[in-house]
Amino acid sequence: MLPGGLLAQESQAKIALSVEELPALEGELTLYLGRGEGGLYENVLDAIQQRNPALELNIRRGPTAALANAIVAESRAGVRRANLFWAVDTGAIGLISNEGLARELPQDLTNQLQANFRYEKWSPITGRIRTLPYNTERLTAADVPDDVMAVPDSGLSIGWAPAYASFQSFVTAMRLLEGEQATGEWLQKMDKVARSYAGELGVVMAVERGEVDMGFANHYYTLRLKAGKPDATVDLAFTNNDAGCLVNASGIVALSEGDLPINFIRYLLTREVQSFLSSEAFEIPLVDGVAPPQGLPDLATIQPPDINLTRLADLRPTLDLMRDVGVL
Amino acid sequence: MTFKTSQHTGIMVILGLIATFFTTAASANGPIGDHVNDLQSHLGEYAEEVVWMIEQVDEIVANYERGGLTNVDPEQVVEIWEEVNFHAAIESNYVPVYASIWQGLFGVRQAIEAQQPIAELRTQQDALEQSLWQGLGAVKLAAQFQTRGLVANIENTVATSPVETLTQVGQLLDRVVAKYAERLPEEAVSIVFDTYLTRFEGVEGDLIEQDADLVEDLEVDFNVTLPQAIEGAASVDAVRDIVNEMKTKLNRARALLEEAEANRPSVF
Repeated sequence: MLPGGLLAQESQAKIALSVEELPALEGELTLYLGRGEGGLYENVLDAIQQRNPALELNIRRGPTAALANAIVAESRAGVRRANLFWAVDTGAIGLISNEGLARELPQDLTNQLQANFRYEKWSPITGRIRTLPYNTERLTAADVPDDVMAVPDSGLSIGWAPAYASFQSFVTAMRLLEGEQATGEWLQKMDKVARSYAGELGVVMAVERGEVDMGFANHYYTLRLKAGKPDATVDLAFTNNDAGCLVNASGIVALSEGDLPINFIRYLLTREVQSFLSSEAFEIPLVDGVAPPQGLPDLATIQPPDINLTRLADLRPTLDLMRDVGVL
Repeated sequence: MTFKTSQHTGIMVILGLIATFFTTAASANGPIGDHVNDLQSHLGEYAEEVVWMIEQVDEIVANYERGGLTNVDPEQVVEIWEEVNFHAAIESNYVPVYASIWQGLFGVRQAIEAQQPIAELRTQQDALEQSLWQGLGAVKLAAQFQTRGLVANIENTVATSPVETLTQVGQLLDRVVAKYAERLPEEAVSIVFDTYLTRFEGVEGDLIEQDADLVEDLEVDFNVTLPQAIEGAASVDAVRDIVNEMKTKLNRARALLEEAEANRPSVF
């Protein structure tokens, strides 16, 4: 728990704390780290380690799903090696939660997060939003459907990356929001009009080149392209209250008792870390008082669907559906 | 001055070898065997195998010279290679030379099958012998690294930065050439796409902020140029040229990312 003064301050303001207000971390922690955006999570971990010389931080790195499976397997074997699990997608966190391995987080910590991102047993760290990147020489934002279910019938040429994990999470959200049948029909219609790419940066680049009018991709690919190529002919459009503007998140789970894992999570929610990941990785801060990445509208102006992100762990039916309709 | 230059060249070769020694478990056609984890103890065996291979190939070439195609079985050239432990030792340690050996083996075999003049066959045989000796040298160097613990350290390393990831991408591209030289085009293409999706795609976001055109070039290389060359049955040299051009671009990418990292603000 935070010292009483800080707790009072936090409950009133609900803005990101500074690292200066946090207790020093002392002791040994083992963190399982799923692959993140480039090496920037490593920069954060290095900074925390350097600031806390009495912290002995052991890190095991690997693909997020593989680490989640390892944690479950270790638990079933009566072993616990990880104190924390930082995952790039919430599906893996759902797997851990469903096994009853995540410990409850204190309310003063979860209250730091924006209202839609408060969970009892895990903490989102940063977000990413599904977007419709479009070619600005061919379209305006008004030309892009604001209903994701209408995209296949829009008459526009479309790029997508159906083998890509983020796209599959988006389809999972659609399945949960619209149902199996509607999602299957949507996939079938899309399959007839869409051009496939291996990854979503490839989709954004194809939009910019004019190979397709628009595409499906996480927001940061467009922002990063525009950071490197300011005159890039691509911009972002958003759908309204459907899977097309799903906000997914990276998140962290505490797997052991004690203050140390919890206080470690507090460091990730500081305004310094949130600002760093916003400015350097173009990820969306999920605590109040930290600016979103340049080029992205405030989340408050977008209407993402209300969905429990851990339900996105239910990926198997999505893959089955995508295979059934011939998309995978 | 000459000494300094050659010393510098030698250091660069060694650094290149360390960087290129493969970082994950190899997948030779047959069982790899524990010997690859104790190269130093098997150097004598590998040297004997290289000499034996050279003698065997020389005998096949001599028989061809005496009696033409009907006097030899060209398949034997590849079968000889499959019998030696040196095969796994080089595959698991220095993939670029491994590719050259396969290229040499198929060069000899195809020259026989096409009933080329003996002079052409001898040219192919010389190239094969050169790659075998080069391979033995690489394994000896790898044995030294292994003894000093350097190779083991590299094997256990998971990339923790985009720069390290790009190094792994270069190593995997060497493996693409090796598998293509081994006449396994589907496996080669599979490595290309896996490398793109599990490695390169993860650093594209960082790289595109530095040089969007470079990312565009590499995207095309990964998704079009290289797989099409392999699927279109281009020569091994042509595929190697594409990979070398990609590695030049990756070197530029690495330099850009190193510079960006040096200029990145601190977290706290």
